[in-house]
Amino acid sequence: MSSDPATEKTRGYGNRWTALGLLGAVAITVSLVAQDFRAMWSDPPIYPGPGVTGQARLSDYFSGIEDTAADTDVYFLEGTEPGGTALILGGTHPNEPASSLTAITLLENAVLTQGRLIVIPRATRSGFTATDPQEGYPEFYRIETPTGTRRFRYGGRGTNPIHQWPDPVIYVNGSGQQLAGPEVRNLNRSYPGDPNGYLTERLAFAIVELIRREEVDLSIDLHEASPEYPVINAMVAHENAMDLAVEAAMLLEFEGIQIAVEPSPANLRGLSHREWGDATGTKAILIEAANPAQGRLRGPTNEALIVEGVDKYYRRAGELGLLYVPFGEEGSPLKERVGRHIQTVSTLFEVFSSHDPDRTIAVENLPTLAEVLQNGLGAFLAPPRTEATDVGRLSDDP
Amino acid sequence: MTWIYQGITLIVVLLILWHMLRERRLKEQMEAALVLLPLILRLLMIK
Repeated sequence: MSSDPATEKTRGYGNRWTALGLLGAVAITVSLVAQDFRAMWSDPPIYPGPGVTGQARLSDYFSGIEDTAADTDVYFLEGTEPGGTALILGGTHPNEPASSLTAITLLENAVLTQGRLIVIPRATRSGFTATDPQEGYPEFYRIETPTGTRRFRYGGRGTNPIHQWPDPVIYVNGSGQQLAGPEVRNLNRSYPGDPNGYLTERLAFAIVELIRREEVDLSIDLHEASPEYPVINAMVAHENAMDLAVEAAMLLEFEGIQIAVEPSPANLRGLSHREWGDATGTKAILIEAANPAQGRLRGPTNEALIVEGVDKYYRRAGELGLLYVPFGEEGSPLKERVGRHIQTVSTLFEVFSSHDPDRTIAVENLPTLAEVLQNGLGAFLAPPRTEATDVGRLSDDP
Repeated sequence: MTWIYQGITLIVVLLILWHMLRERRLKEQMEAALVLLPLILRLLMIK
């Protein structure tokens, strides 16, 4: 027997007061979750070490990102002797924590005796203010130091949509490459950037401007990828840096560190290892480590997975030979990924300096992979001291 | 461009509110409340 629609509409125990009650619940929920989201809008503090000799903002190189969430800190470490200039870019993808943490560890430890080092620890600063939807990532992870706990954000892959919205259906980047719409917020698909483009393209343009104006000889972009991704524990080198990468890989292998070298594909446009080299002549290299928290095979996605890197499903996949990196009981801990990055960077400096002694970049006080593994990452991070700075409401993007 | 999308979001939020206050079925009201949550967060540019 079918019910009368008119009767059906009046049945259901709802009225204006239930609607108002539900609206109150909505208001309370919005208020609570807003606090949670806004907690990610503050930059956790970085404590520049004795080697840091100067600091600037990226907008000093391109005013088109000034007062936006894309503007970010740039640190300079200058030696007493003249030499070459290197750039270390961390945090291109804020869901790849070894990238930003390596840059921070460099800032807090490295001392240059010759040449100059420029470090950007949070390249996609806006991306640190939100995680990617439907991934279940924690918003923060912690590293213990000898005298306290440092807390860092685990962000999303690209610029936060509240800072750049909406995404197009198809993104055609400045080099004419067609990509899926959300890639419009991916810094590493936006090079060489566009001074009049989307916020992320303006950010990319500012970084290229920095490389150009500072006459950077060697530019290194730090990344991570999932263990089932073929280009992992690898360097991707522009053809102008291939000799450096190959020699560095050999030296690293002598130290027991397996690392592959891949050529930057000439037709894969918008990426740092391609566009930096093409646009500025800098020797461009991208480095990848293996982060199980990014992969599709992972189990529970939590702080332990990010920091300890242990996952039983990846271990099983490793046993079946389905991964591109060894993955055993010990997993792929963050300290190992950061240690690998640091030693790879150090070795690249060493090789670069041996190729062009007039442009030597000599860095001291950087830990090796073995030292990081033995003492833990916290041993090379400064103890916590001051409060964070706010980044949240800097959106100006039309 | 962002302002246009915020405007669209505002219109949708108002329509859902109007629907919610006129609706007499509790289940429909609850569904409308759930839909409102992400829309308000985006309208306020919090998430």
